[in-house]
Amino acid sequence: MTQLSTFRKKPLGYRISLSIRRDWQLWVLLLPALAFFIIFCYFPMYGVQIAFRDYKAALGITGSKWVGLKYFEKFFSSYYCGRMFANTFLLNLYGLIVGFPIPILLAIMLNQLNRKRFRGFAQTAIYVPHFISTVVLAGMIYLFFSPTNGIINHLISASGGKPIYFIMEPGWFRPLYIGSDIWQNAGWNTILYIATLTGIDPQLYEAATIDGATRWDKIRHIDIPHLIPIAVMMLILNCGSLLASNTDKALLLQTSGNMATSDILGVYVYSVGIAASKAQYSYASAIGLCLNAINFGIIMLVNFISRRLSDISLF
Amino acid sequence: MTEIALHRKHRRIRETKKDRIFNGINLIFWIIVLFIVLYPLWLILIASVSDPDAVLRAEVLLWPVDFSLMGYEAVFQYSDLWGSYLNSIFYTLAGSALSVVVTLAAAYALSRKFAGKKLVNLAITFTMFFSGGLIPIFLNVVKLGLYDTRAIMIIMNLVSVWNLMVARTYIQTTIPNELYEAAVMDGAGHFTYFFRCVLPLSGTIVAVLSVYYGVARWNDYFTGLVMLRSRSLFPLQLVLREVLASLTSTGNSDTFFAAYADNLGGLQEALRKAEVAKYCCIVVSTIPAVLLYIFMQKYFVKGVMIGSLKG
Repeated sequence: MTQLSTFRKKPLGYRISLSIRRDWQLWVLLLPALAFFIIFCYFPMYGVQIAFRDYKAALGITGSKWVGLKYFEKFFSSYYCGRMFANTFLLNLYGLIVGFPIPILLAIMLNQLNRKRFRGFAQTAIYVPHFISTVVLAGMIYLFFSPTNGIINHLISASGGKPIYFIMEPGWFRPLYIGSDIWQNAGWNTILYIATLTGIDPQLYEAATIDGATRWDKIRHIDIPHLIPIAVMMLILNCGSLLASNTDKALLLQTSGNMATSDILGVYVYSVGIAASKAQYSYASAIGLCLNAINFGIIMLVNFISRRLSDISLF
Repeated sequence: MTEIALHRKHRRIRETKKDRIFNGINLIFWIIVLFIVLYPLWLILIASVSDPDAVLRAEVLLWPVDFSLMGYEAVFQYSDLWGSYLNSIFYTLAGSALSVVVTLAAAYALSRKFAGKKLVNLAITFTMFFSGGLIPIFLNVVKLGLYDTRAIMIIMNLVSVWNLMVARTYIQTTIPNELYEAAVMDGAGHFTYFFRCVLPLSGTIVAVLSVYYGVARWNDYFTGLVMLRSRSLFPLQLVLREVLASLTSTGNSDTFFAAYADNLGGLQEALRKAEVAKYCCIVVSTIPAVLLYIFMQKYFVKGVMIGSLKG
């Protein structure tokens, strides 16, 4: 036995079993959460194979007939497939382009408010919409944008315009969806940026003041450079959901009139897999799997590119 | 007078003209932002205590018009709503309590060093980026025999990866390792250390997690939509969805309000009251979440900041 081999690490399985014996209390504390992730996240991942099978409840997952890519082909050759991909992608893309900079702007401006009480009030207030439920948010949209007695249409008619049937117009689905999203979450999403700004060394600002920097100079040369790493991280995370959909909200805002833009993949999976009277489990699973795989691919790709270009990455 | 002015002058460097312009613009900016954020909420509140006819004519803009509580009276009659209200209270309290305990225990474990930690971390983080998808999750729940039970409303979404990481970061950064070493010296195991040392020092993060989990559960309707069939188990948001469905284009779902016509003075009157009752439903269902936030706000902002620094 050479000296070196005594330093070689034992196999992971051995080390884990040793740690379970020695630190069993630690593992007991970890167990409930671990069990949750295994049962409710990893079991379904095993069950995702029904996308390749002709799932029949009576036969179970592994008992159902293997059909390969049949349901994927069915989906990709279906009439609305292209439209749904485009709708999902564009909804998220526009949401990202419009919605991403706003929390950064809010955080910077909040940081510049020097009246302490007003600042505290503003910070508290911009978080409030986050605590409103999706159902209520959709209800508010229906109430305010109603064609007959909504306040927006009253304002439009009062100023001589023609009332718009917002929730039935395909052209208005995205603005309503994205706008309400910003209203609800932009304030909340400032948290990370505000935390970063409060972490900046005050000496930097003092030095800048002595050098005659204006507030605007300090934003440009102190605040923004400090915010860039965290902003890039958030951007990577957001890119991972370019094809994901906030199914619950889209489901509430979808009407027979705005299908041309509101017909998105997540809602489709729900309606063929759960809501339909004769649910097509395998077909809906196949679509869901496609989506998840693509999202996963995008986030890996963006993460890789970002790591190459800027050294900022999630992992 | 001059003394004070002098004193002020010496205290700090005077703001330049550019800075004062910037401050002015910033103030205007925030007044606009706060108006956009708060006005819709104010509008809901004043509409809920106004006369239905005034609401329909959109005369309620700044203050309640013809103050009346008839909307709330109508809401009290909606027995479906109150049944689901109780359900939601139960799901929220039981579910968040369990979530907080499980999350905190796991967060503590992950803040310590042990073999296999990397693997566990990877397995947990992976679920953030990849999932089996709606249908396999649904079939899994059916197979476990949890479909259409109260239990699934509590177990579903029990631990959020994000909250787990926030809690872990909090424990790592605020509780010094020396405390652990001292406790071990005195013969404490992980159980003793966690319950006697970590928990008492984690007040802030418990408050943060309670608000996160509590609000998410209170506001969730999708879990109920997918996992429940019996009306008696429905959470508030699911019933609320039916109430607000009467606002959709076709207006064919006025059945919800029509069902209570007998108690509200006939169909016409019931539907008239329903115009404000919708606003009242929103107020009644939103108040618990917003109140929770406002009460916890003191701990909350502080805790979120600490947790998110490295998270």
